[in-house]
Amino acid sequence: MDTRTGFRLSHRKWILAAIGFPILVAAWWAFRPEKLWINQKVNEPAPFAATTDPQPLYTGRLEGKAHQTSGRATIYRTSDGRQYLRLTDFMTSNGPDVHVVLVQTDDANLTKEIVTDQVDSVELGRLKGNQGDQNYDLPASVNLQKYTAAVIYCERFHAIFGVARLEKF
Amino acid sequence: MVRNIKTALALVALTVTFALQASVYAQDSMHVDKTKTLETGTFHGKVHKTSGRATIYQEADGELLLRLTDFKTSNGPDVHVILIAAKDADDDANFLNSSTERVELGTLKGNEGDQNYEIPSGTDLSRFQTVSIYCERFNANFGAAPLEKF
Repeated sequence: MDTRTGFRLSHRKWILAAIGFPILVAAWWAFRPEKLWINQKVNEPAPFAATTDPQPLYTGRLEGKAHQTSGRATIYRTSDGRQYLRLTDFMTSNGPDVHVVLVQTDDANLTKEIVTDQVDSVELGRLKGNQGDQNYDLPASVNLQKYTAAVIYCERFHAIFGVARLEKF
Repeated sequence: MVRNIKTALALVALTVTFALQASVYAQDSMHVDKTKTLETGTFHGKVHKTSGRATIYQEADGELLLRLTDFKTSNGPDVHVILIAAKDADDDANFLNSSTERVELGTLKGNEGDQNYEIPSGTDLSRFQTVSIYCERFNANFGAAPLEKF
């Protein structure tokens, strides 16, 4: 009698196992929970072999402030270590005494259109044109960890024409 | 009378000069790379934290290539890289609208690191503007990068 009960129980266990195991396998296949802590790293090279060309370091889109401004600002490093800011698709309004400067991204002045106090900035030069592609050399000493916003700034009226917050390329 | 006409003419000339105050074009050149950078954007993703940059290059032979850099997402089953015909993917919703048009670029090679994907020739980049890291099995959008002109 005891053996029969034992047999019946194990029989039921077998059925449970026969149903349960495939369900477990299916659930594992669907969710692959082990992937939560297994990372798969890859490191493919860039599609261009020529490392002599200037490499983009940081880039961002320009947003208009006091005047409609658009385009892209990108900081490149040349093979000889020189760094420059390049504006592309660039368009802003023409104005007097307009400069290109680098400002710290979290500078409160960047939220305003007209600046009232002194802006801590790195001067890159007078704006060469209010439209078109243009390059500005960066001073060798500039700290790009700190000054990560490219700003089109009218010094005469303390007006911020446009801002590009740069992010790592 | 003649004097008035002269003054008027001078005024007109002055007005025209101001009106025509030409835009100043700058056209600085740059080393022409054989590979052109067309578009770029950064990933955002909330449900499965996703970060990094997606960039589309055009190689010298005209082939389009998507490259992910500084890339990181969560590992998961059956994850693909797709382009979707949308300005951006709503990462709060997590799931893609089934009617969203998509272009398959392949299975995600790794959940971390730099990686390249070929884009089928004839893909209209003006329509397919967003890269999505997409789990086909659960129709889940891990993260998306809206692309903008470089």
